[in-house]
Amino acid sequence: MKWWRHVVAMELRKILAYRSDFWITFLGQTLIQLLVARALWQMIFDAQGVTEMQGFTLEMMSLYYLIVPIGTRILTGESVGFLAREIYEGTFTRYLLYPLSVFQYKTTTYLTYSMFYAFQLLIIYTLFRIFIAQAAFTFTDFGNLLMGIGLFFLAATTYVMMALLIEMISLWADNVWSLIVMLRFFTSFFGGGLIPLTFLPSWTQAALEWTPFPYLISLPARTIMGLSTLGEMGKGVLILSVWIIVFVEFVKLVWKRGQHKYTSVGI
Amino acid sequence: MKRYLNLYLHFLRFSFSKAMEFRLDFTFRIVMDILYYAVNIMFFKVIFLHTPLVAGWTQEQMMIFVSCYLLVDAIGMTVFSSNMWWLPHHINKGELDYHLIRPVSPLFFLSLKEFSANSFMNLIIASGIMTYALSTYSQTFSIWEVVLLIALILNGTLIYYCCQMLMILPVFWTQSSKGFMDLFFSMGIAMERPDKIYKGWLRVVFTILLPFALIASFPARLFIEKFHWPTFLHLMSVTIGLWMVMLFVWKKGLRVYSSASS
Repeated sequence: MKWWRHVVAMELRKILAYRSDFWITFLGQTLIQLLVARALWQMIFDAQGVTEMQGFTLEMMSLYYLIVPIGTRILTGESVGFLAREIYEGTFTRYLLYPLSVFQYKTTTYLTYSMFYAFQLLIIYTLFRIFIAQAAFTFTDFGNLLMGIGLFFLAATTYVMMALLIEMISLWADNVWSLIVMLRFFTSFFGGGLIPLTFLPSWTQAALEWTPFPYLISLPARTIMGLSTLGEMGKGVLILSVWIIVFVEFVKLVWKRGQHKYTSVGI
Repeated sequence: MKRYLNLYLHFLRFSFSKAMEFRLDFTFRIVMDILYYAVNIMFFKVIFLHTPLVAGWTQEQMMIFVSCYLLVDAIGMTVFSSNMWWLPHHINKGELDYHLIRPVSPLFFLSLKEFSANSFMNLIIASGIMTYALSTYSQTFSIWEVVLLIALILNGTLIYYCCQMLMILPVFWTQSSKGFMDLFFSMGIAMERPDKIYKGWLRVVFTILLPFALIASFPARLFIEKFHWPTFLHLMSVTIGLWMVMLFVWKKGLRVYSSASS
């Protein structure tokens, strides 16, 4: 099992290869999404003359939109889409020669990005608490933060399985990039990335309850904010775990059927 | 001019025949863009469940604004997005020579060579959404106001293009794989919100320095709230300024470009 350390180290080197680009993009993305969301909701709160909407004050809304963009990056990683491209280009062969499963390798590379973004979330959230919210960082807050990050990791594992399942379709179709983008749209809207799920009509919330989507972004973000109960977290963990098992079985099945379709180019 | 038009017709012919080779991908992309449109419309529908006005606009006015930015996005995706995707690759690999030695503007060639036929269908769908938004609008308007709206949307597309180029061109200096393309896509959210939500320094940023709020919000505002000369002049002057800045950075970038051959 020592191989994963080497894979993680290699991926970290890749992430940090263009440091200035990486940090400018990260800080820019986080700041812009937060500022635009804050501006929109401030106008809505002011126009309505209220201090709370669907259980969110303006400050809570700001915190939510601070966590969500980084949380979404933990969830979606960076390396999704590469497997499909490698299958299309015929360079997938190298993974068949590696002394480890391609799926283990891909999941490890993917979760390395998630790990790095989780570290960023830890820093940004701590800075926000201390300098912007000017609130004491209690033991409970720290516990919520760790539980939220843990949930984001479980969500990321579910997401990578969904993405792998889609990428396997490239054994039949030429290009599945658009399907992966569709998954992102679904996750963003039905996962609470665009708007907190409590704003959706109650019938939509009920329809989503047993799907993985509400537990991919909304639950971990709310957990970090201390808005989730232990029961909600337990239910989320259970539902995500079941979906992971389902997706893993599907990935195995599709791979079993599709691998004979693969045509390689060199090694 | 005729030469450029002929060249562009060749680009179109080639792009359509290429797109038809990958029919399943062609279908997937249409579905993907429909989903993107649906998500954007649903976002505002959900907000309007909780408030009657957003930035002073009613739901039907907001639909006109949404259709404006969907149309800008569709034009961008169809006309130049594929080219933007490959531009950092050409710069990093030193493959610009092929374009620099041709008797046409390299900027024209690199920006418009790949017409995305897959997205062309979505351009039709986005136009349909705008037609629907205008046909269900309860206020009266003249055909000239619609013509002006379309012209301003095309101007918005030019701003969108310049902003995207300005995020990619740093690749000449950084040699990174995508430049600040991810940042550009994140900034796209500023285009998707009405400009009136931005106050103070944030307004200066999104209406002058990184004028994402001018792309769709100003055209929609000039249509919905009737024509306002200062708003129009602001839009035009920022567009011209942005175009000149983009050309300046492009020329500077070409000076530091290193070829891989020749």
